[in-house]
Amino acid sequence: MTGYRLLEHTADMGVEAWAESVAELFRQMALGMRQIITACPAVRTQHELEIAVSGGDLPELLVNWLGELVYLLEVRNFVFADVVIEALDECSLRARVQGETFDPERHYLEREIKAVTHHQVRVDSGPHGCSARVYVDL
Amino acid sequence: MSVKLEQIDECRWRIPREGAMRTEGLVFASRAMIQALQKEQALDQVRNVATLPGIVGPSIAMPDIHWGYGFPIGGVAAFDLEDGVVSPGGVGYDINCGVRLLRSSLEVQEVRPRIEKLANALYRNVPSGVGSHRKDLKLSVVEERKVLIGGAGWAVRNGFGRGEDLDHIEEQGAIRGADPQVVSERALERGRNQLGTLGSGNHFLEIDLVDEIHDQQAADVLGLFPGQVTVSIHTGSRGFGYQVCDDHLKMMLQAARSYGIELPDRQLCCAPIGSREGRQYLAAMACAANFAFANRQLITAWVRESFQEVLGKTASELRMSLIYDVCHNIAKIEEHQIAGRKRQLCVHRKGATRAFPPGHAETPALYRSVGQPVLIPGDMGRYSYVLVGTQGAFDETFGSSCHGAGRVLSRHAAKKRVRGQNVEAQLESQGIIIRAASRATVAEEIPEAYKDVTEVVGVVERAGIGKIVARLKPLAVIKG
Repeated sequence: MTGYRLLEHTADMGVEAWAESVAELFRQMALGMRQIITACPAVRTQHELEIAVSGGDLPELLVNWLGELVYLLEVRNFVFADVVIEALDECSLRARVQGETFDPERHYLEREIKAVTHHQVRVDSGPHGCSARVYVDL
Repeated sequence: MSVKLEQIDECRWRIPREGAMRTEGLVFASRAMIQALQKEQALDQVRNVATLPGIVGPSIAMPDIHWGYGFPIGGVAAFDLEDGVVSPGGVGYDINCGVRLLRSSLEVQEVRPRIEKLANALYRNVPSGVGSHRKDLKLSVVEERKVLIGGAGWAVRNGFGRGEDLDHIEEQGAIRGADPQVVSERALERGRNQLGTLGSGNHFLEIDLVDEIHDQQAADVLGLFPGQVTVSIHTGSRGFGYQVCDDHLKMMLQAARSYGIELPDRQLCCAPIGSREGRQYLAAMACAANFAFANRQLITAWVRESFQEVLGKTASELRMSLIYDVCHNIAKIEEHQIAGRKRQLCVHRKGATRAFPPGHAETPALYRSVGQPVLIPGDMGRYSYVLVGTQGAFDETFGSSCHGAGRVLSRHAAKKRVRGQNVEAQLESQGIIIRAASRATVAEEIPEAYKDVTEVVGVVERAGIGKIVARLKPLAVIKG
């Protein structure tokens, strides 16, 4: 099973995802977080940015990975449609982020994510697949 | 997980010390509030905070408490300077998120006929919502570093506001000890385009009317009268503060491991106050706090301009002076009396407001006879309140009070509640004009998403940790 769902929180929101591999899990978490920021379908995958992220362990890596995507949007004005995880281990990942420069004529943003939190962050992987959870501060 | 609770009196509940807790929890709430709280995780979070090293007194929760991340929102915790810790999660991402209140000489009947024009002018002049900023405010890196040290004073020196504004801001609008050297490039980058912006979510800019006076003497001192028009500004340190928190959480995760601090939740990561990591965080936090003071000061200048522009009155006719500006996400080194002994403590207020009593040296001279003003926004359909600090708060809660109404509905639940309804039109029929950058924000911020602030401040007053001065009612609300 592969997918994600949004989690309720009194003030903020969370994302939970599951996948066959950790790489796909990290992709699903990114797509889930994107759903919080915007459900805008018009984002094209015409540009790619290559990014590298590190962290002390998988949960920290997940928080840093999603945080990097928030940064790309907020500072570089880059809204993503999809991601390709190129390489991933316990403490680092390389990915191609596919999307385009935010265009207010065609795109809209529903919510601003202040940060991806470490609150109850979880990454579980086993022989039958893996799952993860994070909460974001809105 | 259910948390054991013992009722102390009508407004106080104890979470007894057990397991890894180093102290007990103290929750200010009515019975009805407690019932609602038991359905979420906020009380577990009060208990988790009680496990942190060097905590002094109880882990405290204000009546607007709700589930946060790591610390609860509405939490107060004080730590010993020598064996205690400082935690970025105990301040939150939006460092020095806070509220300021401006009074005016205007009465509601003068403003009502122009209220839409005023709301439009505020919406135009004060950037709100994701990604918006003033085209005429460009910050260089050098100038941004000056903001981090100067805070609201930087803004005043650059023509935004008046010198006397600074006397009416917590810490005179600049926390000492700010060191831009410890701030990351990324934080500077995120902050540069966001100075002078409201942001989104629960941040707002509001025109209110003074609806009821509860304490005439204090109202006179604060310059409040019935029917008067006031303006509230609720925002913080924007992307700059979020990044400072994020950067230091990463460092503190490492630090907590190396100092052998057991964490019930990673978001509580922390380091000894005197450690390199602790000192660096406090220096960076002060930068973010000062960014937030400058942010609210810039917005104040644009609010004054907007009123002058729409009403065709001069600054001296409008008399829009600053009543006060409070931080509600902050850690402060303060002196408190513990068991008859004066002690320096690091007081974390996350979704809690300082509420110092009459006579305290930190209360501005003008307000020293009545206590420090405490500004409590409610929701966009009901009320907000002005309180003053009390000796009770100083004795029991490290001089702290609540910070708002506190959410009760998740964003999803709030949206579901109003599906198919026109929230703006409904509020307009009640005489409240809404201008918002995002429809999702309006749906998620409906009045029903919050506790009734009247009940929250009622608990505060009955518990003696704040005194109600006046009730405000919204006329126009600008949201992100």
